[in-house]
Amino acid sequence: MRPTVYGVESLAGISLDSGTRLTLTDGPLQLGWKHSGMTSDFIAEVMALRYSGSRKGYMQAHHDIGYLSNELIENAVKFRQPGEILIEAGIFDGSFLIRVQNTIDGVTSARFQQLLHRLQSRDPGELLLEQIETNAISTASGSGLGLLTLLSDYDAKMAWAFEENEGERIILTTTAAVAMPPSSNP
Amino acid sequence: MEISDENFRVWAEQNEVYFDGVFRLAGPDAYAPIYSLISGLLHGGHKQVTFNLTGLEFLNSSGINLLAKLTIEARKMDDLLLVVKGTHQYPWQAKSLPNLKKLHPLLDLRLA
Repeated sequence: MRPTVYGVESLAGISLDSGTRLTLTDGPLQLGWKHSGMTSDFIAEVMALRYSGSRKGYMQAHHDIGYLSNELIENAVKFRQPGEILIEAGIFDGSFLIRVQNTIDGVTSARFQQLLHRLQSRDPGELLLEQIETNAISTASGSGLGLLTLLSDYDAKMAWAFEENEGERIILTTTAAVAMPPSSNP
Repeated sequence: MEISDENFRVWAEQNEVYFDGVFRLAGPDAYAPIYSLISGLLHGGHKQVTFNLTGLEFLNSSGINLLAKLTIEARKMDDLLLVVKGTHQYPWQAKSLPNLKKLHPLLDLRLA
């Protein structure tokens, strides 16, 4: 079955084969919250190196890569069903691209697709402020605030693909891109 | 009073609250003690409260939610001036702090 895709469709199909691939595995130590921070720090350290010729460019690249990776991996850790989280990342044509794949359950999938529907017809900056106001009067988490900050404050391009697996499980693949500063170390 | 772990530290001195390090907690529940500390300061009878973020290197979206909630709390108090001190040194601040000003136009945002 073809996956259901939201966002920038061309991103969902792009190949990241020449990038770096990491797998976070459930294991005796459990896949913890800490690992999402460690992994995104690692990706930022490695990927930002090519910008080290300029302090400003390096800081910008390091931060943007770190923030984007952290939000995507935090979401994967938070909403996943037991199993691996697959991460692919690389710099392609002046942009940092990251793809995160994990399994989610049917309820999470339905709720998430509802949010993405709302996103399609609205300005992410307005939605972000609206979501912040909503969060201030409720204690619910899982508000999509991370995605809204990426779209609104980081001008990230994003695509989400939902693919039915066996039974109630759905494979969610999130791909995101942010523009990088001009490279000083080609 | 101070709240800290291996990555961050938050503490108040009179009417100024300082944030230092990397805030990457898991959600509203994890941020609740910090929210209580600062909410207490906002309701402490000061004319002005300052959030000093110049040492705040990184903040995840749950952390941004914390700052936004506190800004909305301050907005409800007519006679309180909220000052937010930030820095261009950490790129997230120039990107995301102007959102606080949109939530609370009277907030005094100082990005140096």
